Amino acid sequence: MWLEGLVARGFRNLAPTELTLPPEGIALLGANAQGKTNLLEALYYSVLFRSFRGATDSELARFDGPGFRVESTVMRTGKTGTIATEFRVAPKRKRIEVDGAESSRLMEAMGHWVAVAFLPSDVVLASGPGAERRRYLDRLLCLADSRYLTALTRYRSVLSQRNAALRHERRDVVQAFDEALASAGAAIVSSRVRWADTATSMFAEEFAALGEQETVGLSYRGRAELAAVDAWPGAIEEAWPADSKRGVTTVGPHRDDLILEIGGRALREYGSTGQQRSAVIALKLLELSTLSEAYGTEPALVLDDVFAELDTERQNRLVTRLDEGARRQVFVTAPRRDELPEGLTLPVWNVKEGRVTCP
Amino acid sequence: MSVIEDLITELARLPGIGRKTAQRLTYHLLRQPTDRAVHLAEGLQSVAERVAPCPEWGTPTEHERCGYCSDPKRDDGLLCVVEEPSGVEVVERSTEFRGRYHVLGGHLSPLDGVGPDALRLEPLVRRVQGGGVREVILATNPSMEGEATATYIQQLLTGERVKVTRLARGLPMGGDLEYIDGVTLSHALLAREEVGR
Repeated sequence: MWLEGLVARGFRNLAPTELTLPPEGIALLGANAQGKTNLLEALYYSVLFRSFRGATDSELARFDGPGFRVESTVMRTGKTGTIATEFRVAPKRKRIEVDGAESSRLMEAMGHWVAVAFLPSDVVLASGPGAERRRYLDRLLCLADSRYLTALTRYRSVLSQRNAALRHERRDVVQAFDEALASAGAAIVSSRVRWADTATSMFAEEFAALGEQETVGLSYRGRAELAAVDAWPGAIEEAWPADSKRGVTTVGPHRDDLILEIGGRALREYGSTGQQRSAVIALKLLELSTLSEAYGTEPALVLDDVFAELDTERQNRLVTRLDEGARRQVFVTAPRRDELPEGLTLPVWNVKEGRVTCP
Repeated sequence: MSVIEDLITELARLPGIGRKTAQRLTYHLLRQPTDRAVHLAEGLQSVAERVAPCPEWGTPTEHERCGYCSDPKRDDGLLCVVEEPSGVEVVERSTEFRGRYHVLGGHLSPLDGVGPDALRLEPLVRRVQGGGVREVILATNPSMEGEATATYIQQLLTGERVKVTRLARGLPMGGDLEYIDGVTLSHALLAREEVGR
């Protein structure tokens, strides 16, 4: 799977852009604030239909502009498909089209273009709170399995209804939502646990392949037995005193975490900066292989200025790792050519004041 | 504000109608013979003045009791619980059901401040306790809130001498298995039926 064409209009600071992209990808060079990350953001937009750095759609629209349009032409097993999003600021309206037909449900539009993005801010996956790793898991599993997205959407709405009932101190109403909490929650926990089981050894392998000596561990922290719907009534009953006291649901996958360890201790506290970066790369490579297995094709990789953060050895090992095995499209950015690893052989394009140029 | 503007604003308050559609409707009415618009106005006025929820079940009616309540041919022992009056029409369309209706007036939604007290639950319990009802069929929407409301009613009627059932959840007729979402499919699996041996 690779991105053949990208059209972006009214998007951030980018000039109206219409690009034909090579199957191997590009290295995009440009000084700060010229639009490198904005272009990657547009490239990744059709994966989740939102910004990869958490910006709202209104923020993606060019300042004072009416809205934006992003159109991605994807080549997959010899056929091209087009995914387009049109966003209007006022009145707020978002329309997603897949091959020209409007897609009313996000679920139907997702999965036509799949990529993994790696940003400098992703280091919080190793150093930050559990919420970051849950977000990682949810994005990954939503893309890999549409049933996960259904369950997650449902779980989030049950949770907010149940918490509201808890605040109103109506146990009878709270209980009315328990069944839905259990069925959606069990689906989420079972997907996550299943993924974590296979991911543990892969994580260690990816980490070692980056030249790291210490052994690492990855495990799901949560109540794995909640993967079964039957386990919920007991757990809910047990959590009741805490739930009613605090006015929030204290049991369920929204409180779970992915535990990363190095040499048997928490990576978050005991890992060096370099080790934490390697762990984040390993998590991203894990995302890549999970999605490649789910789709039967190699997703693209979007790397925003990440080489500058790595020492030469880690840089070279990452490049070697990206070169082996299946061919995939890679998009990288850097301020200057000399900040890219030597082994990286991608066509070099430039961006200046929101205009992308290829030699 | 002109009368035309007033009408546009009123129409635009209706669900599913934006300002543009409201304008189009208004100018459409203006182009029609006057009596058309007058008929519409009369219709609206009659509905507003004469239709009230049936005191017994909450279905809208212009009579003292609604047709579903007063029809002697309907089975008093079967009671179908729906969220909104529109649900009555939907169940009627199936032509399978010949019992009575109870309209709740919504579903539980603590987030929007809709608790049990905001729904017509007390009259439902009273009717069941009054005897004569054999079965309560919960036909709330298959949304998360609709399901929770059904669960709530189920709990509420525990201990009453009445059979409580829920509409089966499963595969739509004419659908394609490939496109069924996981939640629906797992419900369909749980509610699977044995076929003739």
